Amino acid sequence: MSKHLLKFTVNGKDQALVVESHERLLDVLRDRLGLKGTKEGCSTGDCGICAVIMDGKLVNSCLVFAIQARNKKITTIEAIGTAENPHPLQRAFIKYNAIQCGFCIPAMILASKNLLDHNPSPTDEEIKEAIRGTLCRCTGYQSIIKAVKAAAIEMKK
Amino acid sequence: MTFLRRFDMYIPENFNDLLGYLEDHQSGVQLIANGTDLINRMQRKQVDARVLVDLSGLSELKYVRRENGTIRIGALTTIQDLVSSPTLTERYAAFGDVGSKFGGPAIVNVATVGGNICAASSSEDLIPVLLALNAKVTLRSIRGERVVDLDHFLKGKRQTALFPNEILVETIFDELDGRSACAFEKIGMRNSLIIAFLNCSVCLKLSKRDKRVEDIRIAMNRISGKIPCRPRKTEAELKGRPLTKEQIEKSITILGSELQLSSDFRASREYRQAVGPVVFKRTLIKCADRLGEKLV
Repeated sequence: MSKHLLKFTVNGKDQALVVESHERLLDVLRDRLGLKGTKEGCSTGDCGICAVIMDGKLVNSCLVFAIQARNKKITTIEAIGTAENPHPLQRAFIKYNAIQCGFCIPAMILASKNLLDHNPSPTDEEIKEAIRGTLCRCTGYQSIIKAVKAAAIEMKK
Repeated sequence: MTFLRRFDMYIPENFNDLLGYLEDHQSGVQLIANGTDLINRMQRKQVDARVLVDLSGLSELKYVRRENGTIRIGALTTIQDLVSSPTLTERYAAFGDVGSKFGGPAIVNVATVGGNICAASSSEDLIPVLLALNAKVTLRSIRGERVVDLDHFLKGKRQTALFPNEILVETIFDELDGRSACAFEKIGMRNSLIIAFLNCSVCLKLSKRDKRVEDIRIAMNRISGKIPCRPRKTEAELKGRPLTKEQIEKSITILGSELQLSSDFRASREYRQAVGPVVFKRTLIKCADRLGEKLV
């Protein structure tokens, strides 16, 4: 089966690796690059938990073949804040208790960050729109919306 | 977990390379744009291709433009591109309606117009809108190009008029004038992220002087068979008549008789029979609203 040389940028670092046709972006991020922050949920594009940012757009990494990400810039949750210095969104999620089991949170943070990158002062409706493809079965979303709003204010300071 | 059978991926260097490859390899080949539908069907073993041909790099097929009274949309244009296109003004609000009821942002950002059309099933939200706009599709092979009406292109569930050496390159429809509007509605389990029980699109043109319907095209999924199509008798009932409440009620009765609905795991036939006319009515009212006509 055909192998391809995949060159792309992940979290600001150029990567070159040989991938097979059937490997998905999700598989390559998790299993080849060890970026386990991207979670696998439904594998069918319904839950949005495997979302990453590809060339400034949110995509489900389970529905992208790795080779289709050639020459693209990928951002995963690993590039957003650190334990010592969390991103304002991450601080707000903690403050507003917007995390329970945590499984959807990497995708939720990326979806919210992608929103704030394009729209620094979103309304509640715009936040709902931005996270509508990311399913969370714990929080009921209200705390997430509050956290994104608070982070937006914080980031403008 | 992924349950994909092994396959090769061919990455064409450019558009001509693609056409040459399709000419030389006419079996076991499957085109893939951004994969939102195809990868799922591959996982369910509904598509068995030895080779996938990756179209995602062909950026020349990504455009929305006005040309000689027509709107042309490249096959690799995404749903998000449609929603944010300055060419598709309020007159084409049906595309915005689709965008807000489609999948989440991560799907809307990548799902393509060409993919939606070629997937050719009743779940595709764009198909009714394009049918109501009387769209045609341009198919190209190394031997040349042909333009086919969208309703002839759709042959049946997951069946299209596309030959193995061809690719759908664009969809074209006539520009709407100031007295026309279009709209889209869908009914599913949720407001978005859902495959519709029923969807409907209407393109309406009202005469300047009175409220008379100059032209109307309606497209719904599940009218008959497994692909969206147009209820022609309902259209004929409305054409040339004033758009009054009584007239709408009359057309709904006719629509009811045109709907040949079936039950499946999403909804029962009876339920669809009951909501079909309602979905149509809502879409029609939305259209009239957009033309500044208050019906309710």
